[in-house]
Amino acid sequence: MGKLSHADVVHLLIQLSIMLLLGRLLSEGLRKFKQPAVIGEIIAGILLGPTILGMINPEWFHALYPVPSATATVLTGFVQVAVIMLLFIAGLEVDLHIVWQQGRKAISTSLLGLIVPFSFGFVFPYLFPDFFGIADKHEQLTFALFMGTAMAISALPVIVRILMDLNLFKSKMGMLVVTSAMIDDVVGWLIFSVILGMIGKRGDAMSIFNTVVLTISFVVLTLTIGRGLLNRILPWINKKLAWPGGVLSISLALCFLGAAFTEYIGLHAIFGAFIIGVAFGDSKHFSERAKEIVHQFINNIFAPLFFVSIGLRVNFITNFDFALTAAIVAIAFAGKIIGSGLGTRLGGFSWRESIAASFGMNARGAMEIILGLVALENGLINERVFVSLVIMALITSITSGPLMKWVLKK
Amino acid sequence: MAIAFSPTSETLLREATKYTLLFQAELILIHVGNHSVVEEEKMKALLKAVTVQPIILWRKGSPTEEILKACQQEGIDLLVAGALKKENLLQMYIGTVARKIMRKANCSVLLIQNPEAEESPIQNIVVNAEDSPFIEQAIEVGCYIGQLQKAQWIHITRELKLLGLALSANEQCTEDEYHESMQGMVREEVIEVEKILGKIPHQNLKVNIKMLSGKSGYELAKFSERKKADLLIVGAPERRFYLLDRIFPHDLEYIFANLPCSLLVVNFRKQSKNG
Repeated sequence: MGKLSHADVVHLLIQLSIMLLLGRLLSEGLRKFKQPAVIGEIIAGILLGPTILGMINPEWFHALYPVPSATATVLTGFVQVAVIMLLFIAGLEVDLHIVWQQGRKAISTSLLGLIVPFSFGFVFPYLFPDFFGIADKHEQLTFALFMGTAMAISALPVIVRILMDLNLFKSKMGMLVVTSAMIDDVVGWLIFSVILGMIGKRGDAMSIFNTVVLTISFVVLTLTIGRGLLNRILPWINKKLAWPGGVLSISLALCFLGAAFTEYIGLHAIFGAFIIGVAFGDSKHFSERAKEIVHQFINNIFAPLFFVSIGLRVNFITNFDFALTAAIVAIAFAGKIIGSGLGTRLGGFSWRESIAASFGMNARGAMEIILGLVALENGLINERVFVSLVIMALITSITSGPLMKWVLKK
Repeated sequence: MAIAFSPTSETLLREATKYTLLFQAELILIHVGNHSVVEEEKMKALLKAVTVQPIILWRKGSPTEEILKACQQEGIDLLVAGALKKENLLQMYIGTVARKIMRKANCSVLLIQNPEAEESPIQNIVVNAEDSPFIEQAIEVGCYIGQLQKAQWIHITRELKLLGLALSANEQCTEDEYHESMQGMVREEVIEVEKILGKIPHQNLKVNIKMLSGKSGYELAKFSERKKADLLIVGAPERRFYLLDRIFPHDLEYIFANLPCSLLVVNFRKQSKNG
């Protein structure tokens, strides 16, 4: 194991503590306006990073977060682990039990809420790749597919919180919206996994086919044999090991193992973590209390580190493109409102309820930011597109609750 | 009642008689299979054990289909059948007659698990007041049986859906707000049940309203076992269950797969259709 110098250790601890403190401080400020913590954490990153601190006093910024340095490498490791954990809890949130309970109705609603925004997100960047800031001209199809996925994904925790605020969580409409968001997320991450596998293949049909087969096989095997095994070992863990320590360590160990496996076979690590999360979330032996503990642990320690780190690596002013951001926000709103609105209407709700549900489903939140960052790291998009996607994620998350309330009150 | 001349037929018939008398109803026995002197004799011997005079229907063909057809033709309100506690893997996917009936019947179904030779009153009843268009009817039936049998307890369960997700999504709150939100969720559910109970006679019954969280059917089965329930009453689900529901079990499928006690599925679809 490598060793950090005494100064590096002090430096790293200060970096971590500043990120957590400022992230918490701004999240607390936004709490007053009933906004999710992720917004405060992104702003904290923007303040600490090249956008604000780097502009006001570049020396301070470089002193605090020097690149390259040993601390930067360790911090990158922390952030990498954080993304994997975030995807694990995103998987835990998917409750297949509720999906089956809702049946076909939820599937048709979610598919429309997926296909329409995906098509909108695909067509425009495919037709106007330069305007949408394509990073590699040879990857036009992959880029357009990614933009489609970015428009289709939704932020389940934001949606749940809004529905709870409006006292609609347990209503028929609430459950339909939550289920649809779950299905959208599963399909969205499936497509994204394939897209990541397509990067650099330049449309080579055989290797794309291999990626698709690998992805689907991994999902099917994990959710059948893997799930069966989990259902056998979890009762033993609950009975014999310390609680919640046992279930926490083993669930995260399996999450990392799944992530390592998918990375090894050529899919992205986050996909493995997500599907292992789905398998855990679906197990009747993984209690709601355990779910909450895992959530709180990751959401309040690792998630802030990840979201603050976004602002540290990207300059949000120099990479801000108004026209691009406006276009992405417009496509995001139009796609989800039309798609999810129609889907919910077909699910048997009134037009007003359907539009309200579509505003709820419009929230992209943390998932969009993770998706964007992975695409940025893999050279699929440039920093301009990434900044626009982050802004779109923030705008859709902030406006979703008030718009839903407004439509329902009308 | 569906009858197959199995070793438990006599005790099962006694149980069916108990419910016939309880509901002041008429008992119809359906036998699917051979109808010869041998079966006639077996039936005669069986009927000696009970005081009621049932109508007997002799059918031939597939047991599930014939039983369901007879239910429809005869306008059956409650179909009674015996069932094993647990199905093996093959039975679970293919489905035993009892489970098939349960999944497909258009009337209420009572699956009696381990019919007892000695008649014993129903002491503990669990009613699931969740995920069905027939919640009110299920509670009403539970209270009615509870009153007639002088049951010790009637436990009415509701569910805090996706509790882990709901609590973690509610991230931006203080400790007090967190507890308040948790209590609020429970309060809302209790009020819902109390509203229904307000319309139903339940004098002299000890009612316990219990919140469950986790996988609906699984937690319900566990709760019923913990309370040593004699009878679990659930409303029929909104839609029918298929093979996929068994591969990815949810709700009642968990209960069908491992019966915690006798199960009554209240289904008023027939009545609703007939107005």
